Amino acid sequence: MKKRGRGVGVMWYPTHPVGSNPSSAFAKINSDGSMVVMAGAKDVGQGSTTVLAQVAAACLGVPLDWVSMVTGDTGLTPYDGGSTGSRVTYIASRAVELAVAQAKKPLLLVASEHLGVPVEDLESGDGRIWVRSDPSRSIGIPAVAAECYSKKATVPVGAASYAAPGLTPPDPETGQGRSYPSYIYATHMAEVEVDTETGEVEVLRFVAAHDSGTIINPLLAKGQIRGGVSMGIGMALTEQILFQEGRPLNPNFMDYVIPTAMDVPDIEVILCDTPDPTSAFGVKAVGEASVVPTAPAIINAIYDAVGVRIYDLPATPEKILHALKTALASSEQQAASGK
Amino acid sequence: MIDPAIADHEYAGQPRRNEDTKGPDGPAFVSSFLRGDSLAGLQEKTQGIIGRSVPRHDAYQAVAGALQYTEDLRFPGMLHCRILRARYPHALILRVDTSRALDVPGVAAVITSRDVPHNRLGPMQQQHVLADERVRYLGDPVAAVAAETPETALEAAHLIEVEYRELPAVFDPEEALKPGAPILHGASNLFQRQNVRHGNVEKGFVESDLIVEESFRTPFLEHAAIEPQVALALPSGDGVIVYSPSSKPFSIQREVARALAIRQNRVRVIGTASGGGFGGKNEPILEPTLAILALKTGRPVRGLFTREEEFVASTVRHPFIMNYRSGVSRSGRILARHIRLIADTGAYPAMDSKTGGKTALVKGAMMAAGPYRIDNVLVEAIAVYTNQPVASNMRGPGVPQVCFACESHTETIARRLGMDSLEFRLLNAYQEGDVTPFGDTLFSVGLKQTMRQAAAAFGWAKEAGR
Repeated sequence: MKKRGRGVGVMWYPTHPVGSNPSSAFAKINSDGSMVVMAGAKDVGQGSTTVLAQVAAACLGVPLDWVSMVTGDTGLTPYDGGSTGSRVTYIASRAVELAVAQAKKPLLLVASEHLGVPVEDLESGDGRIWVRSDPSRSIGIPAVAAECYSKKATVPVGAASYAAPGLTPPDPETGQGRSYPSYIYATHMAEVEVDTETGEVEVLRFVAAHDSGTIINPLLAKGQIRGGVSMGIGMALTEQILFQEGRPLNPNFMDYVIPTAMDVPDIEVILCDTPDPTSAFGVKAVGEASVVPTAPAIINAIYDAVGVRIYDLPATPEKILHALKTALASSEQQAASGK
Repeated sequence: MIDPAIADHEYAGQPRRNEDTKGPDGPAFVSSFLRGDSLAGLQEKTQGIIGRSVPRHDAYQAVAGALQYTEDLRFPGMLHCRILRARYPHALILRVDTSRALDVPGVAAVITSRDVPHNRLGPMQQQHVLADERVRYLGDPVAAVAAETPETALEAAHLIEVEYRELPAVFDPEEALKPGAPILHGASNLFQRQNVRHGNVEKGFVESDLIVEESFRTPFLEHAAIEPQVALALPSGDGVIVYSPSSKPFSIQREVARALAIRQNRVRVIGTASGGGFGGKNEPILEPTLAILALKTGRPVRGLFTREEEFVASTVRHPFIMNYRSGVSRSGRILARHIRLIADTGAYPAMDSKTGGKTALVKGAMMAAGPYRIDNVLVEAIAVYTNQPVASNMRGPGVPQVCFACESHTETIARRLGMDSLEFRLLNAYQEGDVTPFGDTLFSVGLKQTMRQAAAAFGWAKEAGR
């Protein structure tokens, strides 16, 4: 018989790994107002290079295609702690923001002279700098950039390093300290179908709602979350390295089963932005947390479907059948002793 | 040779309490864009650049097959590296003889620990580039070959003669803690401890109407990136260039420079397109060996793990053994939670520099009690050495493990109380201003929002209480 069940799992996760962990960036604005940003942060497929370009473009106030990125090259870019601990958007965005702000200063000075208002009264966007109180009075960023190079003989460059401030490692005995700057939260919900004759589980439906602060790029955030949920489905149902005397028995993708598109349902992702006041634009983090509550949501859904709890992952068909058999035996025993 | 301590600045990151690094907490620190802005205002102000779904910068290249991965790189005269690994999970190395391997036509170099200028890696300096005296798991590298083809390199690696004295091994963390167990490092297999203490759990249990205790386990997991470990090193001027998809190019630079005993300016690590990392490409598993071979042969050398090697010799996720005991009031408030965690860290400490190899233990312990207001919490977590693969960072180190246990346990409690799963969680969930068991005051807490929005989208209430 096939039985359906629903389960929930919630989680919290730090926006940053333990310990001080800086990012840094260089920014240089060309004489036509375009910009090259050199950031140490390495894109590992999550799309951080695109996100940092968006941050840089927003900070300078130019269209996205005026920004080019050089990343993750120790010969060209300044240091970065790495694409680990879900930290890149949270930390490196700030480094980029600060570097661009520095490079932008000479442009603002030139614009201030032309528009006759102090730098503080200027705003920028879409390739222009304008007077906040009167947006009709404006000047193009290419023009002020060109003037920096020519009349001012100043190259607009910026360099910045940023680390989350005030972090201290946890006391090993009590955990007290300030280990993490802030946190993200998520709720996953799964609907599964369990075949009580074979023990097989199919994930039918999945909803993942994440508070990851301001989202710079929803497409990439959702992509990461769907990837994480897929990984979590593997953790819940199929993945484990089996060892005999230290030797892996299943060191291949035939016997170590990761989910394929056939095993992953449509995943509905909801982004509940709760901006973080400690970061550039209020960003938090996305990467790792997306895998965190998936397995318990599925395991709880299995319980809801067939009334057995799996205490050791993964919930293989063998374990589910065994648990069903044990549950049946004990209920029969109870019924018998009840007589 | 450079004193390794010189290259050590980053490891100073058992970060000290330093007033200089303490930033302003007040409004000056708030992003200028965020001050008083709604999210909609923010988007308007940035012409929609923030919050816009732009495809990844290399997406079109990737789907068109035009993106160059490390495996696609070719250099004239490029050699291929294969690594000989330990024959036993725990043994002393008595003798290594590479002469037969060197005789194989097409072999350019064979290296052992004797060829490594500084043969220690990572913050704890406990891992080696190539094993010298002892191997502690089957993935331990013993020697490396550079040859014209990968096949020749493999053939030669099989001809390296290693004489071992086998030692007793231990494969289970609980066994590893028993008296008389084979010891991997130092005086005990207990690698690290991380506790969290908040309130008084015993008092909390006394006040509880219901106490629930359960135990959970998770297994070793592989990152299973489609692209295995791969890197390429080529001699350049008075140093070396390393192409690597690593998630931490600067850490690779530091480790390669230190292994070669040269300054970091002579090592350039160029980050290449990543075929998947998930934490599995954080550590200098391959790059120092390739750099040494490149300098020895004067030729580019590429290394590429087989899928089997990926399981044997790359890092894995820590298995956790977890015991949860919780006390709750009849009304559904969690009053006390006592958690014991045992993490199997494998044969060596992870090479994450910031915590001296205990990131998974720390994060697991800190997040273990879940996102719930609980006045009395005790977490006792340890990481233990075994003769298993090295456990290190994998997407959320330590946290998917404890979340599985915590949320399964939370569900059991809700059912025992006869409460709806979501209602029970909402009752206890963190909100703005709550203080964590380790003393953090929380802000920007969107937890309940995620629960309510997920429930609405899922239709949770429709059939609740079935």
